[in-house]
Amino acid sequence: MLNVSAVSLQLGDQTILQDIQFSLAKGEFIGVVGPNGAGKSSLLRLIQRAVPADSGQILLKQRPLAHYTSQELARTLAVVSQHPPPLFALTVQQVAEMGLLPHKSWFERTTGSDEQAIARALQKVGLLNKASQLIDTLSGGELQRLYIARALLQQPALLLLDEPTNHLDVHYQHQILQLVRCLGIAVLACLHDLNLAALYCDKLLLLHQGRQCAFGTPAQVLQQERLQQVFRLPCQVAVQPQLQRLQVTFLPPELTDLC
Amino acid sequence: MLKRHYAKAMMLSTLLLLASMLLSLTLGSADVSLADTISVLVGLAPGSPLAETIVWQIRLPRLLCAVLVGAGLAVSGAILQNASRNPLADPYLFGLMAGAGLGATLVSVVLPAQLVGIAAGAFAGALFAVALVFVVCAGQHWRKVEITLLAGVAVSFMLSAISSFILYFAEPFAANRVIFWLMGSLSRTDWYSVALLAPVVVLVLVLALALRRQLDALLLSDDSARTLGVNTTRLRLVLLLATALLTACIVSQCGGIAFVGLMIPHLVRYFFGVTSVRLLLGCAVVGAVFLIWVDNLARTVLPQQEIPLGVITSLVGSVFFLFIMRAQRL
Repeated sequence: MLNVSAVSLQLGDQTILQDIQFSLAKGEFIGVVGPNGAGKSSLLRLIQRAVPADSGQILLKQRPLAHYTSQELARTLAVVSQHPPPLFALTVQQVAEMGLLPHKSWFERTTGSDEQAIARALQKVGLLNKASQLIDTLSGGELQRLYIARALLQQPALLLLDEPTNHLDVHYQHQILQLVRCLGIAVLACLHDLNLAALYCDKLLLLHQGRQCAFGTPAQVLQQERLQQVFRLPCQVAVQPQLQRLQVTFLPPELTDLC
Repeated sequence: MLKRHYAKAMMLSTLLLLASMLLSLTLGSADVSLADTISVLVGLAPGSPLAETIVWQIRLPRLLCAVLVGAGLAVSGAILQNASRNPLADPYLFGLMAGAGLGATLVSVVLPAQLVGIAAGAFAGALFAVALVFVVCAGQHWRKVEITLLAGVAVSFMLSAISSFILYFAEPFAANRVIFWLMGSLSRTDWYSVALLAPVVVLVLVLALALRRQLDALLLSDDSARTLGVNTTRLRLVLLLATALLTACIVSQCGGIAFVGLMIPHLVRYFFGVTSVRLLLGCAVVGAVFLIWVDNLARTVLPQQEIPLGVITSLVGSVFFLFIMRAQRL
């Protein structure tokens, strides 16, 4: 589905990403983790072709990224990210309808079957009953789900998520990731929370200062010494008994020692 | 629910447009009754030659120009506001008016009399201003429309300063002619103006409707549009150029008519909706109705004299704007 090999990115004389190498199979959910400034968002921007790589190759469905027209790319790859609040009042339905754009030519109308596809996508993210509401009445979690519905209407093979759980409370964090997990398409998501990543992702890509620190299953990536070095905090990795998933706990110095 | 709302608004305003057009053909210093007007228009019963001339040669071209100018300015304003996500964008954004003013000044004061028409001079001046703004802003890929707005303001002041300097030393008669011309009027329009404006207005409207999904995608953010496969730089450039060309044509035919492009889209958004098809079609109809009545007012309020259109639109527009800002609907 996605093959990234030896990819580097420079901005001016600063190296943002260096020698990134991983691949993403059909239906797989890979989480990109790492501290602030590690290059997580830059990697996502590279893959959505917002910036060109300086060296290396990115293959999307066995085809170099650069060979795609922008319309073809938008049919293959959808991006869910944060947007500033819109200036003019759009409805949920209208935002979802934007997802049809890559499949439409000039003057082509939104047909009855398109309307059904929109309804199905909204149903999938649980927003069908809010279709005619203005989007400024939605909560953060609902807005995120709406952008996922819009992305689904692009019928992509790969979904990129940039910090999908930012600003969401615990309930919505799990709701969004459960939803994404069940979509059945390949997903690459930047995540801050290592425990969420361990819980929902098939594989993790750990970045540190623009370099690929580790890539593999959560058990392979989330190792105590490595995390202590990358996040510069003492930590403990254990298996959560009920979920049988890894759980990372960072252990800051005693609060009494701080003050 | 929203759809029915839109259909109702569209139907009402179209009826209003047709009624306004018919009614304004009967308004004017000469008395031509509604029945006479209709029979002259339809061409069934031969009306009096005088009524025929008045309706066909004077009132109808002027009315059609009012429709085209009102629709053109409102549609341009709507395109620019949506494409730039800036509620203050307006067709005169690029210093067009100041450029047109300078062009008009040069041909009527500096160049030998009647060498170039005032319309042609204004058109060239308007394009010059647009070109200047485009050259300044080309480097930043139209991402920051604020910069375009500021460049437009700077170009406006520069070109107006040159016009003022020339007018200050010009003979009063020529200076007056330019100043009154700048205030805007449809009194100089004829069938030639209709033939010039109609294709440009229709072309811009069709272009914007063809790009409606791209325009809608821009409403959320540039990134959002880009990930949907929209080339935002090219889209903005095409739309800015199209509206600039349309506005330059309008300015060349009827001088400065401010506030229509700024005000009408806000009104239409409230009653019709914010997405492109509703907004553009609504703006075309409502803009036309608005300018028809402004022109009717301009030519009938004072006996034997016309009020410049720009004076009325600016007055109505600014009061309207302050009113909705106070009501916080903006």
